[in-house]
Amino acid sequence: MNIGIGLSTEKDPISAAREATRLAGINIHSEKIDLAIVFSSIDLSCVGLLKTINVSLKGHVPIVGCSSAAIISNQGIFKHGLVVMLLSLTANVYFNIACVRDIKKKTALSAGRELGEKLLSGFRDIRRDLSVIFSDGLIDEGSNLIYGLQERLGKSFPLVGASASDNMRFLRTYLYFNEEVLTDSAVGILWGGKLNFGLGIQHGWKPLGKPRTITKSGGNIIYEIDGEPAVKIYEEYLARGLSELQKEIRRISILYPIGMYLAGEQEYLLRNILSIENNGSLRPQGNVIEGSTIRLMIGTKESCLNATRQALNGAKKILFAPIVEITKSEIKNFVFVFDSVSRYMLLRREANQELEIIKEGFGKDTPIIGLYTYGEQAPLKAISYQGQSYFHNQTIAVLNIGG
Amino acid sequence: MANLFTILSLAIAIVSLAIVLMLKINKMKKLQAIVDKLKKSLEEMDEQAKLIVRTDIELNKTHEELDKKITGLYALQRLSRIISTTMEESQIFKIIESTSFEDLGFEKAFALLWDAQENNFIPHLSIGYLHGEIEAIKPQVNSDRDIYLDLIKAGKTFSSISVPHNAALRERINHIFKVNSFVISPVLPKEGNKGFFFVGTENTDIAITEGDEELLTILSNQLGQALENARLFEKTWHAQQGLEKKVEERTRELTLVLEEVKKISKRKTDFISSVSHELRTPLTSIKGYASILIEEKLGHLPEAAKERLEKINRHSDELVHMVNELLDIARIESGRAVMKMEEQELKTVISNAADLILIQCKNKNIELITNIQKDIPRVLADRVQLERVFINLLGNAVKFTPENGKITIKAHTEDNVIQVDISDTGIGIPPESLSMLFEEFYRVDNPINQQVKGTGLGLSLVKHIIEAHKGKIWAESKTGKGSTFSFTLPINE
Repeated sequence: MNIGIGLSTEKDPISAAREATRLAGINIHSEKIDLAIVFSSIDLSCVGLLKTINVSLKGHVPIVGCSSAAIISNQGIFKHGLVVMLLSLTANVYFNIACVRDIKKKTALSAGRELGEKLLSGFRDIRRDLSVIFSDGLIDEGSNLIYGLQERLGKSFPLVGASASDNMRFLRTYLYFNEEVLTDSAVGILWGGKLNFGLGIQHGWKPLGKPRTITKSGGNIIYEIDGEPAVKIYEEYLARGLSELQKEIRRISILYPIGMYLAGEQEYLLRNILSIENNGSLRPQGNVIEGSTIRLMIGTKESCLNATRQALNGAKKILFAPIVEITKSEIKNFVFVFDSVSRYMLLRREANQELEIIKEGFGKDTPIIGLYTYGEQAPLKAISYQGQSYFHNQTIAVLNIGG
Repeated sequence: MANLFTILSLAIAIVSLAIVLMLKINKMKKLQAIVDKLKKSLEEMDEQAKLIVRTDIELNKTHEELDKKITGLYALQRLSRIISTTMEESQIFKIIESTSFEDLGFEKAFALLWDAQENNFIPHLSIGYLHGEIEAIKPQVNSDRDIYLDLIKAGKTFSSISVPHNAALRERINHIFKVNSFVISPVLPKEGNKGFFFVGTENTDIAITEGDEELLTILSNQLGQALENARLFEKTWHAQQGLEKKVEERTRELTLVLEEVKKISKRKTDFISSVSHELRTPLTSIKGYASILIEEKLGHLPEAAKERLEKINRHSDELVHMVNELLDIARIESGRAVMKMEEQELKTVISNAADLILIQCKNKNIELITNIQKDIPRVLADRVQLERVFINLLGNAVKFTPENGKITIKAHTEDNVIQVDISDTGIGIPPESLSMLFEEFYRVDNPINQQVKGTGLGLSLVKHIIEAHKGKIWAESKTGKGSTFSFTLPINE
């Protein structure tokens, strides 16, 4: 596999697209380009951006990507910018891309199923290895999209995803699919053949206070905790009133999310709260399960960076190594970093430190491309092949792909 | 018996059960105490957790603010470094426009300056607004111009948090600029138009802090200072440009005038030259005929007639002399006279000229002193013309020096010229006449000149000769004490 990454911080989308694609083209050292992955800040999200990339690539290369609060690359973290990664795959690696639109109308569950079906088409006799999904970061039922996908791809099939983000305003996020800029949609890549990859996912938040139980919930709404209005957990710990919390919950829950304990899994699954209803119900991003034990979670910069170290160690362990023909030195790899915006908010100026840890972990020459997400999708316990993918908040997912 | 046994064993069982129950109760009590204790510590732990969260949230808030401040300071430092070195007003705004205030939590910015002539606020920069939005903001701000003018007058930064008493104004600003919170700071350059700088955000999560106000105040001050500098620079630059233009204009005017003067001067020279020529022919015949008559070739003449004829002859000579001098001047002026430049021994030239006035000096008992520097170099000059200079100057000296006076001829090298000074102890020249001394036909008004006739052309001719030799001539004098005429000649290298 040959990899070329190009970065641009030009303000104008057309010039940015030209520059980043040109640089990626220089770095790839290959005539044959199979796939382009594009992440950009929200100010560059426009059809012109993708059209220019497409034209620069002579119109034959499939493009997949999304918008982000900031882009991550070997050169740093940029609030305004564009990163283009070009891939030239070895003969025994296959992939298929697909997209699903109008998620709200179709419901997230059936949209997930549709995406799964589209991805599978043409993959009949080929071994499937991994699916990478980018979805609108503002859809309510992110978990259901994953369930739908899992119904088609298999419950324990490795699925790693990132929910697109905007400039932390939570107004609109965009998905890129060839020349289209989409909202209320999801795009995906299904890889197969003989692909090597490793995944690490971690959040670094620790439980605090006494365990509580979700006594009444439905879908992604928590009505009651320990028989009382759910908001009480925040009222009690933060000593703030309902109206104040309603205003600030998005930011507060980024620092203090709800941690849900799942039987059979080792880590707590984190949930950010999107809003609080007037009756005191909490509306988290992603599903919750009635009867599950929950804790209020707290994170520090140090615990955050420790999580990064753990995630990258996980990703360094390539899970499957069936490709015996390729000598190790010939294996080229790149790294996807799907990092939660909440971690970016907590780390702030130390966010670069996180990138340094990753760079150091993989070696300076390993291409890194990433984005800040409004949600991450990955197996909870990534080390295990059987791990089922969940919708996460607050995590860093490091996906190491080689071949 | 069997019954008794049954009763007894029953009693024993009851008793033992009671004992067991007692023990159980006791154990339960103990367990309950432990559970209570655990419960209590759990509650206590939870209370501690609450404290931790509350402290942590405060810490985070402080940290956030600190971060914002540091980022702000970085941005400020970067910005002020660039704008302080920018000397063009429009460039200053362009630089600010190209930076981002997003790190400070503001995605929108606007700067307006008051234009007194237009009676309007004019936008100079906008960040985060579309063209249509800018056009819409302008009239709205101007319809409230008095409010903003008052703010500029007050010279104080204010924001969403510092105008709590005027909620209506806050809402109006939010509405006009399409934000949820803002900071406005006046831009007050000492020179020229003042205005204000606005930053704002739509984000409801961002709360304006005093730190934001301070930061924007500093930025606005910097902006004001930069504008002031740029304006002063522009003013100075314009003034200099104006001055240069004026100098150029004046030079052009003077050149034109000089050309005109040259033309007139040439016309005058031509006129004198032609008139003199015209005069010389009839003069020659007058003189010729007078000579014939005096010599009595045409018959005897009475004494009285002879006397008159001699007067005619003498006056004709004077006239011829004057015409010749005029012609010489005209010739030198027009460049027609070619100087025969040859190396000359100054000493010889001086002694030749001195010989000519020696008799006159003796008659008036005037002492003639020559003081020539020993190693004086040779000069490149036209011998005849140079002698003319000496004869003229020495002649004047004798003429205006009373009996028993003294005339000194001094020659020495001075820098890279030879300077000759001819001093006398004569009547001197009044200061007002000194500047006109070398003009044609100018004669100093003094008793001697009233008695002795002269053309008023001598010194003018001398000046023309010296200038034709690339030298300079000037005179110094004290009335009653004497005069010194000095001229220079370039040293022949």
